[in-house]
Amino acid sequence: MKRLGFILLAVLALAGLAWLWKPVPPKAAPFPADLGSVEVVAKLVEVPAGAVFHRELYHYATILRYEVVSCARGNLKPGEVIYVAHYDPWKPRAEAGDTRAGQIGGTVRSFVAGDRHHLALAAPLDDHYMGGLVDKYFGQHAGVTYWALRTDAE
Amino acid sequence: MATEVRPLGWIAFSARSPKGDWEVYAMRPDGSDVRNLTNSPDTEDFYPLFSRDGLQLLYRSMPRGQTLNGSDYGRQGRLMLARANGSEAKAMGGEGELPWASWSPDGRQILTLQPKGFAIVDLASKQVVRTFPRGGFYQQPTWSPDGKALVGVSNGFNTGWSIARLELATLQANAVSVADCCTPDWSANGQRVVFSRRRPHAGENGGYGWTELWQAGADGQGASLVYAEVGRHLYGGHVSPDGRYVLFSGNLWEDGDPANRGAPMGLARLTDAPMIAEHPQLRQVYPQAKAAQVLVLPTGHEPCWTSSQAPGLPR
Repeated sequence: MKRLGFILLAVLALAGLAWLWKPVPPKAAPFPADLGSVEVVAKLVEVPAGAVFHRELYHYATILRYEVVSCARGNLKPGEVIYVAHYDPWKPRAEAGDTRAGQIGGTVRSFVAGDRHHLALAAPLDDHYMGGLVDKYFGQHAGVTYWALRTDAE
Repeated sequence: MATEVRPLGWIAFSARSPKGDWEVYAMRPDGSDVRNLTNSPDTEDFYPLFSRDGLQLLYRSMPRGQTLNGSDYGRQGRLMLARANGSEAKAMGGEGELPWASWSPDGRQILTLQPKGFAIVDLASKQVVRTFPRGGFYQQPTWSPDGKALVGVSNGFNTGWSIARLELATLQANAVSVADCCTPDWSANGQRVVFSRRRPHAGENGGYGWTELWQAGADGQGASLVYAEVGRHLYGGHVSPDGRYVLFSGNLWEDGDPANRGAPMGLARLTDAPMIAEHPQLRQVYPQAKAAQVLVLPTGHEPCWTSSQAPGLPR
């Protein structure tokens, strides 16, 4: 009888431990402190219709609108609106880099309006990207368009 | 049509050899007398461009086994310069250098396009004689016959793939066509531009639609259909030196299929435009178009035509 009670207690203890244990997500590579010229946390304001689509044979970049939350490097202010070009946006960021676009990475798997992203950015766009560009904000913005080098979920 | 075009010079194109590598070939405009200009089974040789006098040939070359890319072929491998018959070939730079080279009217300079901008390079001295910003142009620039402008593919006009013209004296750019477009070429007199254009569609061909051959004034005015098919994308439009004909390639795949074999090439009279390969869907869109007469040519990629007889001279 004592033995049965011990087994029962052990099973309960193991069940409790299993309930308490939560898988730890794999750690993303540390965010580099020197990638690009600007590092911000920003909110993705929207994903316009037709801005992101699956395209196997051709590569493209799409321009998305962000609102800056905080700026670690560069001269951007909280609340400022910025336009950021993402290469092959239908791919998870970790899988988007290639010989054409160079260093592209991050933990974001898809672009969802309202999400906050930790971004390493470079500019001007022409210095970093030479290819098809989808710009649903054409004519609505002037000045700098940033090139996203790294896009982590925040 | 074969009889009338046969004596009109030579067409260069790249195609797979029987050994499986890409070689640059020349043929008579009716598709006859095909000859291998590069004869180099250890390399992939592609993207031939005759100088406007037809005496020189540019092409690109990379180690065998690398895959030709429909968006990047102008900057893959090394730029090669040869006589028009392929002899005396020499590398002009290293891997990826002098990308998207296009001949000056006099054949003494080339225009190149890279992320930092356009550069004009003197071929004899290999010196850069002028640079200027690219302003959104990113592939397939072609220098005009009068040397005053270029056309190319640009992302600066509200579509990712616009055809635009850049005036070299003022660096002012204008759109020629803002539908999804590519592979532009000048008419013989430099007044018009021939290009590929994706017809707006309702999701046909798995959402890709079909790409047609169009022409417009260099100022973007007067755009009109040259030739359309259902079932093949038409790319690589190139106007004959006398301005009477247009060359193109027609392929099932939207990138022209350079990773495999390229596409069957064709030739049509510009005076027959607008024309279609008869199909109920196209007839509805283009009720006035003529039934096309197309001379079918061998399979290849990015054909280029010269009136010179130099490509046929013994090496």
